[in-house]
Amino acid sequence: MKRTPLTNAILWFVLIMGTAAFIFPLWWMTVVSLETPQRAEAAITGSAGIALFPPNPQFANYANAVRETGSVPWLGFVDALSNSIVVTVLVVLGTVVSSSAVGYAFARLRFRGRNPLFLVMLGTMMLPGQVTMIPLFLLFRQFGWIDTIMPLVVPAFFGNAFFIFMYRQFIAQIPESLVEAARVDGLGHIAIWWRIILPLCRPVTAICAVFTFIGTWNDFLGPLIYLHSDESATLAVALNGFKNQYGGLEDVHLLMALSVLTMIPCIVLFIAAQKTFVEGLARGAVKG
Amino acid sequence: MANVTLTKVGKVYTGDDGASFRAVEAVDLSIKDGEFCVLVGPSGCGKSTTLRMIAGLEEISEGSLEIDGTLVNDVPAKDRDIAFVFQNYALYPHLTVAQNIAFGLETRRAHRSGLIAALTGAGGARRDESQAIHARIAEVSKTLGLDALLHRYPRELSGGQRQRVAVGRAIARDPKVFLFDEPLSNLDARLRIETRTELRMLHRRLAATIVYVTHDQEEAMTLADRLVVMHKGRVQQNASAQECYERPANRFVAGFIGTPPMNLVDGHLKAGTFTANGVAIALGAEYARLGDRACALGFRPDRVKLVAPNTTGSVAASIAAVERLGDRTDIALDTPWGRLVARLDADVARSLREGDAAGVSFDSSHAHLFEAGECGGRI
Repeated sequence: MKRTPLTNAILWFVLIMGTAAFIFPLWWMTVVSLETPQRAEAAITGSAGIALFPPNPQFANYANAVRETGSVPWLGFVDALSNSIVVTVLVVLGTVVSSSAVGYAFARLRFRGRNPLFLVMLGTMMLPGQVTMIPLFLLFRQFGWIDTIMPLVVPAFFGNAFFIFMYRQFIAQIPESLVEAARVDGLGHIAIWWRIILPLCRPVTAICAVFTFIGTWNDFLGPLIYLHSDESATLAVALNGFKNQYGGLEDVHLLMALSVLTMIPCIVLFIAAQKTFVEGLARGAVKG
Repeated sequence: MANVTLTKVGKVYTGDDGASFRAVEAVDLSIKDGEFCVLVGPSGCGKSTTLRMIAGLEEISEGSLEIDGTLVNDVPAKDRDIAFVFQNYALYPHLTVAQNIAFGLETRRAHRSGLIAALTGAGGARRDESQAIHARIAEVSKTLGLDALLHRYPRELSGGQRQRVAVGRAIARDPKVFLFDEPLSNLDARLRIETRTELRMLHRRLAATIVYVTHDQEEAMTLADRLVVMHKGRVQQNASAQECYERPANRFVAGFIGTPPMNLVDGHLKAGTFTANGVAIALGAEYARLGDRACALGFRPDRVKLVAPNTTGSVAASIAAVERLGDRTDIALDTPWGRLVARLDADVARSLREGDAAGVSFDSSHAHLFEAGECGGRI
């Protein structure tokens, strides 16, 4: 279909408005992160307007934010960053490995009760996190896991219902004969999953990894509940330290500066994985 | 290389509702070392299931399977030392041609050397083995003309090239038995005939034991040392291609083997005269001893002669269609015996036109008689 200049203009308008709406919070955060403490506080409380660009950008805010994270200068940030990295890497790894393995089993192994089991697994998606939060906390306390990363990491190794579902749908489309060829070539189920299925599941793995990464990196509630000491806090929790107990806003420029820094890995990852990602989503849309 | 022996092998599928379906029944088959054995039959006849049971991809419900004299019913596919070429080739999409060919070799090496060998410094042996694998890939790719394609991915290959890679993957391992499941059916007609010839030559060069499944009877006949015709899960005939053609064991084989198929007419034999739908033809004195019975008469299209209408000893016919194939012509004829086909020399058929009247006659010494019924035996 040939687009007229008018439909083009409308299209552009809608797209630009949409983009602006999505970019606004990001831009606002960046602007506040570069303001002086007074102007930043005024911007948050609404007592003054927001400048499109800060008249006097305070790049030192970033260094200050990093220095003042946690209770030990500089090292507090390193602590929080490494905690975030360890938790996120383990959770991503655990989710990809367990979800793809379980998805393979549901798609390709024949065992008694496979379908009811699959439905039960899907059913767990209906449970809101708030419902399981307290029982889970009590359980992990029994295990003595409070103030360790175990409650955040271990569940990831037991699969994620949604990603298991995605993997299962994707694997079900891989021709059975590939699995049979691998069997004849001398592989067992674990080797087939690892050497044949997983490499072919790249688009799903990209989606699973990126979603899990962003979700875990930004997760606030989980670390807040299970990690009590300063040294074990993740970045998302450490950010909260810039708000004092009474919700004071004097350090809001630092909060925003650290938020910008925290967000960078997510953005970089998303851009890097975008192509595989969209391919996978599109495939899911057609065949899922 | 090895013998393959099937004794009373059967396959029963049981559905979730408890109903069972017998896909293969009491198959007895003894395939000799180096023999090219083709299982042929219409779809759903159990030929692929039989092949998959030999491969170990399908469990054997009943009977026994021996490879090289060893019972392998419960031996997993990977330990049967067989190679399987799939209809859709089943090349690993994420591996190059070279990696595809090497895959089976490498997994086998990993099995043998294992962790202990790795820890006790079998590094030298490992290097030797990987050199051996490289040499093997080079050898196989040269045999099949794949040298230039080794670093390509399967998606970058044409259908014929993929097919050759699939064969390459099979021969690289030098297995005891090669199993082919309709490997040519995804190729276009011309390439199919070329590849068929190559397979036949490859078989001679490797002196390999091959079990090959196809639904194409022409492909089956050209390839087979031994032809096993299957229908409804049972072996109908197990003989050389020539014998299946010349002396079909039953009515099904007669109708299945040969292009165009044999003309088959249900009728009654009495005192050496065959009668169907009120039209009788005397077959000759030697048929008189067969007595008085219901049977089917078969004669090949190339044994049919067209004679002038109303000639004695002929069946009245009108020409329904004339199909000219160059050197020969197939004629479809409407007769009281139903639709019959004649295959004539192009010169003989030159003057024939659709709608013409004719008489059908055939040489009774080349007639076949079968018991009544779909799989009625040869009389």
